[in-house]
Amino acid sequence: MTLSPEAVAATQTALAAEHAAVWTYGLVSAFVSDADATTRGANAHRARRDTTARLLRDAGAEPQPPAAAYLPPEPVTDAASSIAALVAVEADACRAWHGVLERTDDTDLRRSALDALTESAVRATRWRKTGGITPVAVALPGTS
Amino acid sequence: MIPSSRGPQLSRRGVLLAAAAGPLVVACTTKETSPPEPDPLAELAEQARVDAALAAAVAASFPGLGADVVAANRGEHAQRLAAEVERARTTPSSAARSPSGAPSSQPVAPPADAGSAVALLADALAAAQRRGTELLPDLPTHRSGLVGAVVAGCACLAEVLA
Repeated sequence: MTLSPEAVAATQTALAAEHAAVWTYGLVSAFVSDADATTRGANAHRARRDTTARLLRDAGAEPQPPAAAYLPPEPVTDAASSIAALVAVEADACRAWHGVLERTDDTDLRRSALDALTESAVRATRWRKTGGITPVAVALPGTS
Repeated sequence: MIPSSRGPQLSRRGVLLAAAAGPLVVACTTKETSPPEPDPLAELAEQARVDAALAAAVAASFPGLGADVVAANRGEHAQRLAAEVERARTTPSSAARSPSGAPSSQPVAPPADAGSAVALLADALAAAQRRGTELLPDLPTHRSGLVGAVVAGCACLAEVLA
């Protein structure tokens, strides 16, 4: 696969967002009562992280490694702050994948980016629902 | 009953049929709506506008289903897509054309019960997601972000109704 430097950079940003998401799902798992949902979210982000790293290697780029730790927007101390952290990390992933969509003509990468954007946006909606956050769904995920 | 008010839905169906059945149906629909090389985003904008009107009618009859969120967000999709169509139309280098004429705003009759109302909205959202996904590979990069966000936004709305 040949990707433009712009597409590679955007995909590295998306990979960083996936690393952060995996880490955050691990951080909050003790506080969120819906263990199935956190497990599913963590697994989905791990899978996306791995396919994204593979995709970068196929394009001849070295996938960027995870950071040692990530800073949630607010300290995670209970269920509400955990859900806020999950909403934030899914929104970050949406922004990153939307950035990929805007920077590549490659059909496979676009499809991958759309899937990742959609899945993160739907998970964000579920967490917003769980946390009673309004509006329950953002109109254009990844754009704000 | 009132065939003229069903125009947008008919043309959407026409497009879906055309995709499924090939050149024969394309020929028929071309006769009906004839602008050469219509802007593909105009179709998405119209789809969004029709969905927003339906959702508003459903929300009025059945509050508490989340149809109000569908109405608001699909309305925003319609606005953003129409703005992009207009921008492209008024950009000299663009060959794309949008269908002329202001869209009609006929009142939409909601279904008789909440269950069918939700099913109707869910079908409309699935259709919008499908159409946007189909268009995505051929869009220029400045449009793929917008269409991708609309597709993801529709998936979220389906989740709200679920």
